[in-house]
Amino acid sequence: MVVLERELRKAPVLLAPASTPDAIPLPLRRHGGSSRQVLALSLVGTLVLAIFASRDLSSWLDRLGDGPVMGPLQHAAAAWDGAMDRLGLTGMHDLLRRDIERLLDWEWGAPP
Amino acid sequence: MLFPTSGFLLFFLAVAAAMAALDTRFMAKKAVLVVASYYFYAQWDWRFCFLLAFSTTLSYLAGLAIGVAQNRSRRRLITGGAIALHLGLLGVFKYLDFFVLSANQLARLLGLQHELPFLEILLPVGISFFTFHGISYVTDVYRGDADVCRNPLDMALYMSFFPQLVAGPIVRAAYFLPQLARPSREPIPIAPALLLILGGLFKKVVVATYLATGLVDPVFASPTSYGGPDLLLATYGYAVQIYCDFSAYSDMAIALAALLGFRFPANFNQPYRSQRLREFWQRWHISLSGWLRDYLYKPLGGNRHGRLATYRNLMLTMLLGGIWHGAGWKFVAWGALHGGGLAIERMLEPLIGRRAQSPLAKLVATFVVFHFVCLAWIFFRAEDFEVARLYLAGFGAGWHDGVQQAKPFTVALIAIGLAGQFTPPALFERSVGLAARLPAWGLGATAGIVVAAINALGPEGVAPFIYFRF
Repeated sequence: MVVLERELRKAPVLLAPASTPDAIPLPLRRHGGSSRQVLALSLVGTLVLAIFASRDLSSWLDRLGDGPVMGPLQHAAAAWDGAMDRLGLTGMHDLLRRDIERLLDWEWGAPP
Repeated sequence: MLFPTSGFLLFFLAVAAAMAALDTRFMAKKAVLVVASYYFYAQWDWRFCFLLAFSTTLSYLAGLAIGVAQNRSRRRLITGGAIALHLGLLGVFKYLDFFVLSANQLARLLGLQHELPFLEILLPVGISFFTFHGISYVTDVYRGDADVCRNPLDMALYMSFFPQLVAGPIVRAAYFLPQLARPSREPIPIAPALLLILGGLFKKVVVATYLATGLVDPVFASPTSYGGPDLLLATYGYAVQIYCDFSAYSDMAIALAALLGFRFPANFNQPYRSQRLREFWQRWHISLSGWLRDYLYKPLGGNRHGRLATYRNLMLTMLLGGIWHGAGWKFVAWGALHGGGLAIERMLEPLIGRRAQSPLAKLVATFVVFHFVCLAWIFFRAEDFEVARLYLAGFGAGWHDGVQQAKPFTVALIAIGLAGQFTPPALFERSVGLAARLPAWGLGATAGIVVAAINALGPEGVAPFIYFRF
């Protein structure tokens, strides 16, 4: 590791500047956070997703097939989805799904 | 493992946790990213990992050999050998059966009895991308644009970094390797990265998916069953679908790399607003067109040897760019159309200028370029030449019957996709400004709700990205 760290100090030098522009331009990169904040927001996002997309969590685990590990996980996901349903938190998912199905069936000359 | 799946979310959570835990230990972070990238790649087929490792070792050793070579001719020999090996690998895995098929067709035409056997080799996902990474590194070292990479871990990460591994953007060695030399002091651009992910998810899960299933796939599967209006709308639909599909992948790759502390180059910039075909290639798959320009068009002579040589070089570059996309004559035709279009545009430049001037001229130029690109997409999307021919022949009929397949929702998706080409760039910056005001947990919660909504709007499961097969 020490050798590798030493190598690092003799870093590859960019002799000719790359003309390629960065996808996220410098002004937008000036403010941001740390890798801990990235982890925190990923965890919060996943939790929120598990709450509001519990229907998909359950169907995703069902699609992964059977097995000694999957069985209990699928049961847990179904129970979690049921709990979210009772709390009324699956309402957004069901509403959006109904709306998109209506839009998909929308025909010319008829109201959506 | 596709980006818009729960499996990938769990994978990314594990990687993000490792990055947070390792904090300032940059070497360890890179080692974790290499292991994670190989794990990510093994989800398609673990055997492909050996190919990736071979390609990495080849590039690494070639770089070292170029570094110690005493004279230019030896460096040239090593570079040429390494490029030939990279291309040979690509040729075997991607093009061998295509060559066998073409040779057998030719033999039949010539009345020969003997046919070559097909090997039916499985195409490794992303081989075109990591091969171009390897060639980019060796060539950059040879040209002196990048120093020799002496750290095998850096080379392994450059070749395998999972956000870009299977569908780009193609990241140059001279651009990416310096980022591996020392940890970035910049903060992680969380807000722009999240917006790119959310926008990418919407483009892929909603726009690209419904356009494919609701319009493009059925019409291209049986073009003779539809009239001109459906064929035209399916062509526009495919133009929007492929843009939304591929740019979504690029946006998410850029964002994931940013969240891990790395910069990626831009890959798309509202390509359908282009007023010249040349401009289209400066806005579409920028990392590929830049690669082709610097490693193929310019070495061929570029525009330095007169008009005819320039046209020839444009044609050759686009033909090879076409075949890079896939082993099939339809991709050659797609490349030939673009090469020919670029050559004709350059021929007409004294008459039409490099840029349209008046508002009407700009409108007409955008219309013409968009429709030329759409014409080429027909060859790109059709199953084969015969289907493309039937598709084009069908444009002349069925205009009185109206549309059968295109529904208001799919037409609205086309309109949304095309409208997105003309939004001011400041809109993204303003959105980032608003998002950046939220604390990290607020951003995470908002992103979670938006992802849940996009998920609910999309169908169950996600189709693979179009560019995975290239």
